[in-house]
Parts: sequence; C-alpha cells; structure tokens
Amino acid sequence: MSNSLFDLPFEEPQESDAGRDPGSAIRDSVAAEPRRVYSVSQLTERIREMLEERFFEIWVEGEISNCFVAKTGHVYFTLKDAGAQIKAVMFRSDVRYLRFKINDGLSVVARGRLTVYDPKGEYQIVCQHLEPEGLGARQLAFDQLKERLAKEGLFDARRKRPLPALPRKIGVVTSLDGAAVRDIVKVLRRRYANAHIVIRPARVQGDGAALDIARGMAAIGKVKGVDVVIVGRGGGSIEDLWAFNEEVVARAIAGCPVPTISAVGHETDVTIADFVADLRAPTPSAAAEMVVARKDDFCARIDRLGQRLQATFQMRVAMRGRRADDLAHQLLRALRGRIARRERAYQALLLKLERFDVRRRFDVIRARLAAVDGRLRTGIDRRVHGADARFRATAARLDSLSPLAVLGRGYAVCWNADRTAIIRDASTVDSGDKVHVKLERGELDCTVTNHEGAETRGFDH
Amino acid sequence: MDSTIKDFEGAIAELESIVKKLEEGDLPLETSLQLYERGVQLSRFCHAQLEQAEKRIEILNERGQLTPAPSNLGTDE
Repeated sequence: MSNSLFDLPFEEPQESDAGRDPGSAIRDSVAAEPRRVYSVSQLTERIREMLEERFFEIWVEGEISNCFVAKTGHVYFTLKDAGAQIKAVMFRSDVRYLRFKINDGLSVVARGRLTVYDPKGEYQIVCQHLEPEGLGARQLAFDQLKERLAKEGLFDARRKRPLPALPRKIGVVTSLDGAAVRDIVKVLRRRYANAHIVIRPARVQGDGAALDIARGMAAIGKVKGVDVVIVGRGGGSIEDLWAFNEEVVARAIAGCPVPTISAVGHETDVTIADFVADLRAPTPSAAAEMVVARKDDFCARIDRLGQRLQATFQMRVAMRGRRADDLAHQLLRALRGRIARRERAYQALLLKLERFDVRRRFDVIRARLAAVDGRLRTGIDRRVHGADARFRATAARLDSLSPLAVLGRGYAVCWNADRTAIIRDASTVDSGDKVHVKLERGELDCTVTNHEGAETRGFDH
Repeated sequence: MDSTIKDFEGAIAELESIVKKLEEGDLPLETSLQLYERGVQLSRFCHAQLEQAEKRIEILNERGQLTPAPSNLGTDE
C-alpha cells in the first residue's frame, strides 16, 4: 500500500529493527512504524527537487489557453489537451526571442522544465521555447505582423505614392557584397546613363540585419535630393530574406519621406517589406527598370508635347494668314465696286449734261452753259474727290484694324497681271504668265516659271 | 533657368495645359504667340532637367558621409 502510494524514488527513512521481537514487530507492523513527518514546505521542496531533476528538459505539446501577460513581461498560460492541463509560464527574457505572439487557441510544442511554485503547491512548466505546431514559427510571425500592420493601414493603397516624374537621385539600401547592388547599378548605367545613385550599405541577412536595413532607410531618406529609394537584396532562402519580414524594416519603409521600391529575392518571394513599400519590384533589376521607365516616360511626354506645341502653333498661324488674305481680298473688291459705281454715276451725269446742252438750248444758253459747265465740273470734281478721300480714310481705318496690316508681317498678295483678281490657286496661272505681287512696301511684277498644283507655288522675278 | 518654373512636375503639367489650350481654343494670335513662347521655355526646361542629373555613384557611410563608390561596382567581373 505504502509502496504503491509513494512510487517515487524517495529515500525511505531507514531505522533499525534490531532488538524487537518478531511478535511485537508483527503486531505493531503499522502502528509501530516510525513516523517520518514532513512539514508541507519540506514535502513540497522534496517534490520540487524530484520534478526538477526528473523533468529537466522536456518537450510537450498542447493548446494554449488562459494566456496572460504580466506587467513584468512574463507570460502565463495553460497548456491543455482533451484530457489534462498543465500550468505554464514563459519569462520575458525568453518571450523576446519568439517571432510570434502567444495567443489562446494556439497549438504549440513547448520546450521547458518542470518546477513547483511552492506558495501554491502547483507544478508548472517553465517554457524556454515555443514552436507553433503545424505552422512554422516564421510563417506565424509573418501572418501576425502582416495582419497587425494591415489593420494599422500601412498597406493601404491610398498610402502608396507614385514615383517622381523624373527620378534624379536614386537611393539604394542593400548589401555591397550582394548581386542586387550590381544588378541595380548595371541596369541604371545602361539605360539611364546620367543617373545619380546613392548606396547605403546594409547587412541584409543574419543577426542585426533588420536593424541595419531600418537604419539605412532612415539615413538615406535624409540625403538631400534623393527622390526614390530601392530597398532589397538578391534571392536566398526564406531565412536569408527574413530581415525584410521584420517590423522594424516595415516601419522604416513606411516612414521613408520619399517613394520606396521593395526588391527582395525573386518573383515568388513576398515579404512584409513588399506590402509596405510604395511599389513592389519582383527583383532588384526590375526595381531599377521601374526607375528607368519613369525617366523614359518623362522623355516621351516632353517630346510629344514639344511636337504638339509646334504643330498646333504652326497650324494656327497658317489659319490666321489665310483669314487675313481673305479679308484683304474682300476689302479690295468692296473698294473697287464703290469706285466703279461712282465712276458710272459721274459718266451718266456728264452724258445727261451734254445732251441737255446740245438738244434743248443749244443756241440760247451756249454762253451761259460755258460758265455753268465750268461750275458744274468743279462741283462734281469736288464731290468725287470728297468721296475718294472718304474711301481712303475708311480703307486706312480698316487697314489699321488688321487685314492689310498682314502685309506688314510679311504676307504678300499675289494678283494676276491686270490686277483684276487675286491668285489663290497655282493652277489658275500658266508658266510664263505675269503676276503682280503686292508687298507691304512696293510691288513686284513677276513671271511664273513653275507651278506645282495646289500644294506648291513657285514664281520668280 | 526661369524662376517662374518651380519643378519639372509643375513644368510638364503647365506645358500640357498650354498645348491643350492651343489645340482647342480659338485664341487671339497675340495670346497664342505668348503661350507658344512659354511652351517652348517649359519644354527647354524639361530637357535641361534630363541633362542635369549627375552621372555619379556614391556610398553613404555610417557617419552619414558620401564617398565615391568603388569603380568596379557596376561592371561585370
């Protein structure tokens, strides 16, 4: 009974049976057994010593529940399975090294040692390390950080900044020994010859890499004129790339004052850095290509705009010129019409006067007529001249208002030889025809030596 | 460079609006001419910006100083 009860390697108190008679020994087999009375503390201590010795380093799997983080940073929880549970604690110094957060419901494999908490008489496991079961610790850390940063809005599309229209000083945060820096420099050298590159060397794997990258980002963000930053490294194992999944790197990228491009590993590698950066490049070379593409776009845009500017302006000037020609032509025609009408009226008047003169009063008023005729002539002359002066004034005003001023800007009006029509179509004249060209000052008589339909017009003096 | 041009982002935006205006608006010749001249100025500015970038590679060290990069950095070896 006692043996089955204390099936433990207790050192049984050994006492000598010598000097007792067998009968009394049998009689007193229970009652007379010498008592070994422990204090609770002593017993607990014995239990603790035994448990600590026996379960010095064990692995146990179970589900976390009742998780609680104390002010001290130690984490208390219960590990349980369907049939049992055990109290567990993980001290802050060990929690630090976990890449994931201890949460209720998480299935883990814990490495630790058993101990007893004397004041409560409770045994518990002190965990030195936890591994999430089924899911790699890294994966879990990745998922948790990703979720947390996403909640903070660090991945929001509206946070994403476009690259500058023309990146001129390109910051690079990566290792100087890696392939990434060479790839980036090579692409930029080849396709953006005068690019200014500033490289901030940083360890990109191993202990301290994350902090180094974060510091590098902060430092390069402060360099005057840097207008885009590429952060990344070449391909490697998931462990090699891990620094880019660290929170400190994510925050440094988010805090960069200029647009960032992440370029970590190969196409298939996705890191937290990729979510935070303004742009994700599948590889370091691709990141450099993105910068080059902006430059190329910029060149194409200004070239196109320059061409459009020239084309549209030339077209407008040509249109203006044509309108001025039309106005000048209309004006001349109008003036000619008015002059001709006056001329006709004068001729009619003169004719009437002559008839009157001859038929009716030939004899009687010949003498008076001479005087009247003279007066009439001067009167008519004055009227004609007056009209003429008004035409000139009107013409001059119209001229100053614009169309004829066109001649002052270098346009010319080309008339046919007898100045009855303006030539606007080369096909209306033949080689050898005379034409008359009116310039701002003076006029030219020209002979057509060649004409090429509506497109080109050639003439010679 | 013309002090009325702030940066190339602004320059290219202004150039775009000038070209658009010239292309669609029925503007007086004088205005067209002014816009055209401004456009040419902006276009030259943008081209100048392209030329202005310095062909240089530098290393930013721990102390925040810029030093020339090793010459073999961008070359195959």
